[in-house]
Amino acid sequence: MELNIERIELPNGLVVLLSENHALPAVSINAVVKTGERYVTDDKAGLGSLAGELLDEGTATRTAQQIAGEIESVGGALQTAAGYATTGVSVTALASDLSLGLELTADLLRHPTFPEDRIALEVSRKLAEIRAKQDEPRVVASEAFNEIIFAGTPQHRPLIGYEETVAKITRASLLDYYRRFFVPNNTIIAIAGDFSSAVAEKVRQLFGDWPRDPQFEPPAVPRPQRQREPVARFISKDKEQVNIYLGHTGIERANPDYYAIRVMDVILGDSPGFTSRIPRILRDEQGLAYTTYCHLARSAGLDPGRFVAFIGTAPENLERAVSGLREQIASMTAAPPTAEEVEAAKAYLTGSFVFEFETNAQMAAFMVSAEIHQLGFDYPGRFLSEISRVTAEDVWRAAQQYTDPDNLTLVVVGPTDQRGEVGSQKSEG
Amino acid sequence: MTTVNNAEAGPHIFDITHGVERTRLSNGLTVLTKEIHAKPVVSSIIWYRVGSRNEEPGQTGKSHFLEHMLFKGTDRFAKGEIDLITLQNGGANNAFTDTDFTAYYFNFASDRWQVALEIEANRMVNNTFAPDEYESEKQVVEEELRIGLDGPWEALDQAVWAAAYRQHPYHNPVIGWLEDLERATREEMEAYYHQWYHPRNATLVIVGDIRAGETLGRVQELFGPIPSGPEPKPMPIREQPQRGERRVTVRKQTEVERLQIGFHTPEVTHPDAYVAQMLDTILGTGKTSRLYRRLEEHDQSVTHFSVDYHDRIDPTLFTIRAEIKPDHGLAEVERAVEEELDRLRQSPVSDEELRRARQLIKARFVLGNEQASNQAITLGYYETINRYEYLSDFFTKIDEVTAAEVQRVARHYLVTDNRTVGWLVDEN
Repeated sequence: MELNIERIELPNGLVVLLSENHALPAVSINAVVKTGERYVTDDKAGLGSLAGELLDEGTATRTAQQIAGEIESVGGALQTAAGYATTGVSVTALASDLSLGLELTADLLRHPTFPEDRIALEVSRKLAEIRAKQDEPRVVASEAFNEIIFAGTPQHRPLIGYEETVAKITRASLLDYYRRFFVPNNTIIAIAGDFSSAVAEKVRQLFGDWPRDPQFEPPAVPRPQRQREPVARFISKDKEQVNIYLGHTGIERANPDYYAIRVMDVILGDSPGFTSRIPRILRDEQGLAYTTYCHLARSAGLDPGRFVAFIGTAPENLERAVSGLREQIASMTAAPPTAEEVEAAKAYLTGSFVFEFETNAQMAAFMVSAEIHQLGFDYPGRFLSEISRVTAEDVWRAAQQYTDPDNLTLVVVGPTDQRGEVGSQKSEG
Repeated sequence: MTTVNNAEAGPHIFDITHGVERTRLSNGLTVLTKEIHAKPVVSSIIWYRVGSRNEEPGQTGKSHFLEHMLFKGTDRFAKGEIDLITLQNGGANNAFTDTDFTAYYFNFASDRWQVALEIEANRMVNNTFAPDEYESEKQVVEEELRIGLDGPWEALDQAVWAAAYRQHPYHNPVIGWLEDLERATREEMEAYYHQWYHPRNATLVIVGDIRAGETLGRVQELFGPIPSGPEPKPMPIREQPQRGERRVTVRKQTEVERLQIGFHTPEVTHPDAYVAQMLDTILGTGKTSRLYRRLEEHDQSVTHFSVDYHDRIDPTLFTIRAEIKPDHGLAEVERAVEEELDRLRQSPVSDEELRRARQLIKARFVLGNEQASNQAITLGYYETINRYEYLSDFFTKIDEVTAAEVQRVARHYLVTDNRTVGWLVDEN
């Protein structure tokens, strides 16, 4: 499998990635600035997310309604978003509207004004969303889990921030953040779909005079500590189910054992259907849950992600579910997986790889991720050969090295008391 | 077997029905095939025209539960084997149940996709329903139902549909009522399976990197010998027109109040369905839509809202939902929505709004059907609730919708006497 990708670096440091594909008269643009909550301090939690959301809320020459009007009048979709390590603009449109898409992308990245009234609007929406999250027990559990395992790093916080920090974000702090990180030598633009070679000239014209910041250096980010003892936290909520997270910190994307861990994930808890151990045993055999899974590689990024198992079940099953998850996690370190398990997992990973490149948006996202993680554009071929090389011993060694069944963090949200006793009384709000 | 080719019908590249072939086997199975060679993948989906719409009182949730059981063992594929085959072939499978249909899909690379046909042909009639599998899967379905009970939107949505429909089965949630589920027996489920799962009540859709002729040969080999099955039993219930507003309140532990309004609107085959699609877009798609500008920009009273015309076999609901900001109130947002609807009833929409709505519908349709699997879903969905040719007319019909029609449809359906208003409030 080969991908046709052209990489251009403009003199100001902006990286442009192009992949032509004429199957459909459509294009996707994915413009990413390498920043996010990763570079935001705790006292300003939510600043990076808010800055991302506000990119399309006004520029030097366009109001929010004008931006929306221009893209919607041609039926395109434009989204701005901020994640943990990336912030940006994505556009999907018909091929004939590529120029408009690029013009808007350039305007949003280069000239956002963060108007006061739009900040107020977005802040009030974020504050309401922070409260609405409390209605989602899975989100509450996931956030409590992150808070524990990522203590001391920016990943311990929810991306959206907290009520008290979001309420205090000012235009001045947004502008400071913007000026520091939104520079061409920290930006990648990927375009996939039905376009001609003229697009490179258009990009030069729109971004070429964006001045490089020669001083720019990404700040250092603290690494999470590996936990040395088990931790448990129970949060009371009046719900039908208990939502359970179990795990600890994970790996970085650059970890050389990434491929063995992908295979381990498919064997343990991250497969299509219910073939892997956790869903097969806890759902398919024991009927404990509708949703249960476990993975380690999925969240691997610039910083270590999380090794996490999840199950949602009726409160009376709490103990069985937790001990079931523990048992399966421990099974991976106790003995190497069977040859059949390893072969099936490898066949799945190599056979399904083609589905990661089906759409223009997927292709654009792949190019950005390949650039950020320096995977190289020969990655598809390498992925297939790396996976093919993984042995049962590799998986076993990786499980022993990167999972620690004796020192897991357990978070339970549902009708339990704070010691994990089920069912005695209704809970606080 | 008879095949009709749609290659001449729509030369336009945006028309996803272009190149679709409909074949009917002598046992009644409908097969839609479409060759797309851009990517080496094939999506195959089988659609049964049975869903919660076909469930008798006291028997709700059966269609969905049955969907789960189709992964739990047949005379040829032991429990877990369908998933294992999918895994070993690097594919994906799943299934979904709704009011009007139950569908099962496989996505595979094109050099190995035909195993999907063997599985679907086999489990159309040979599912085994082992008693212990039935009991353990019942627990899984009950857990799925509990997830829904814990979700504020699911609770409100159920309450609104249940109040809007008194007789028609759209009254019931697709997952069923917990009490019905607990009572259900394995024997009833098996009878239900034999009643609805047979060629005459099914459409097989295969889209992707295939050779249609060769594929149809294989389909004939595998599905041809299956007996056609009984004539599907018609569902005779028609909901009587609503005469007067209905209101429901759901109390739940929450910090955020939610609003859902449902208006009775016509079924997918009705000419007004296209107009309802336009109204949906004008009111709710994008930041230039009327409700976005009113609720999110002007009043700043909601965090999110959505507008949905749910096209279905029978008369359906047009719903508006909103999540209310803490310093605003349900009554205020309900009033604002009503004022916006009144504006639509009182004066025609502008040419620019019409033009924008058409463009949005068309472009989003094209952009949303990029993958073979999206196209297989869209084609199968409309073939099951109507005919897939609905889609080839779609753009023309959307182009023909006038401002006067939008106004007429708003006046006719989006009125107080025809609505059910649901409020979700904190239990305290």
